[in-house]
Amino acid sequence: MTTPIMTKKIRRAAVLAGLGLGVQLVAALHWTPATFILSAVLGPPLVLAGGVLFLVAVWKNMKDKGAV
Amino acid sequence: MLPLSAIVALVVGIAIVAFLFFGAEALAGQTVGRLVLLAGLLALPLLLSLGNISYGLHESSSTRFCLSCHEMQRHGKSLFVDNKQALAAAHYQNRLVERESVCYSCHKDYAMFGDVTAKLNGLRHVWAHYVAGVPKKIELYKPYPNSNCLHCHDDARRFIDGPAHRPILPALYAGTTSCLSCHRVAHDMAKVDADELWQAH
Repeated sequence: MTTPIMTKKIRRAAVLAGLGLGVQLVAALHWTPATFILSAVLGPPLVLAGGVLFLVAVWKNMKDKGAV
Repeated sequence: MLPLSAIVALVVGIAIVAFLFFGAEALAGQTVGRLVLLAGLLALPLLLSLGNISYGLHESSSTRFCLSCHEMQRHGKSLFVDNKQALAAAHYQNRLVERESVCYSCHKDYAMFGDVTAKLNGLRHVWAHYVAGVPKKIELYKPYPNSNCLHCHDDARRFIDGPAHRPILPALYAGTTSCLSCHRVAHDMAKVDADELWQAH
C-alpha cells in the first residue's frame, strides 16, 4: 500500500529522471561541443538522482511496513 | 543533431517517465508495479543516458565536430591546400587517414590513456572557446610525439627504407629526433590565407 508521501517522492524521482533525459534530448537536437558537455554533466546525474530517490522512497516504505 | 534513432529513443524514454509519473500511485502499491517503476525510472533512463553519452563520445572524435568551432575553420581548410609536403593536406587528400576522423587520427595519443587525454583536452578547448578566449596563435599543448606518427608508419616500407630515415631510425624510434624536424609543415596556413587549394573548388 502506498502513502501520499511515497507517491510524492516517486513523482519527484520521475521529474528528475525526466529532466535528465530532457537535457540530453535538447543537446541531441542542437549538437555542439558545449551542449554535449552540458548533457554529459547534467543528464546522467539527474537520471541517477531520480533513480536513487525512487529506491530510497521504496526502501523507506518497506521499512515502515516492517517488510525489511 | 544526433541521428533520428537516438532522438526517438530519448523521446520514448521521456514519454515512459511521464506515464509513470501519472501512474505512480497505482503502480507503487503493488510489487509488480514497483518493478515497472524501477525499470522505467532507473534502468531505462540510465541505459538511454549511457547509450547517449557513448554515442556522443564517438561523435566528438569526428572531423565535423572539431571543425564546428569557428577558430578551427582555417585548420579545416588546410586539409585542402595545394602543398604535397603539408602533413595534414597530404594525409587527407591521399586518404591516408579516415576522413570522418581526420583530426582525431593525428591529435590523439595512441598510448593507454590517449583517448582520455584527448577528451580532456577537448574540455580545455571548449573552456577556451566560451570562457577564457581563443589564443591568437593556436598551438599544441605539448611537442608532437613521434609515437603518433609511428603508430601508422612504424613498419611501413617507405618509412624504414626511406634514405632520409635510415641513418636516424633509432633516434626517430626513441623520440630524440622529432619527425617534425624535417616534416616541418603540419598545417600550411600561408596557403590557406593565399587560397591556394587543391580540387576544393
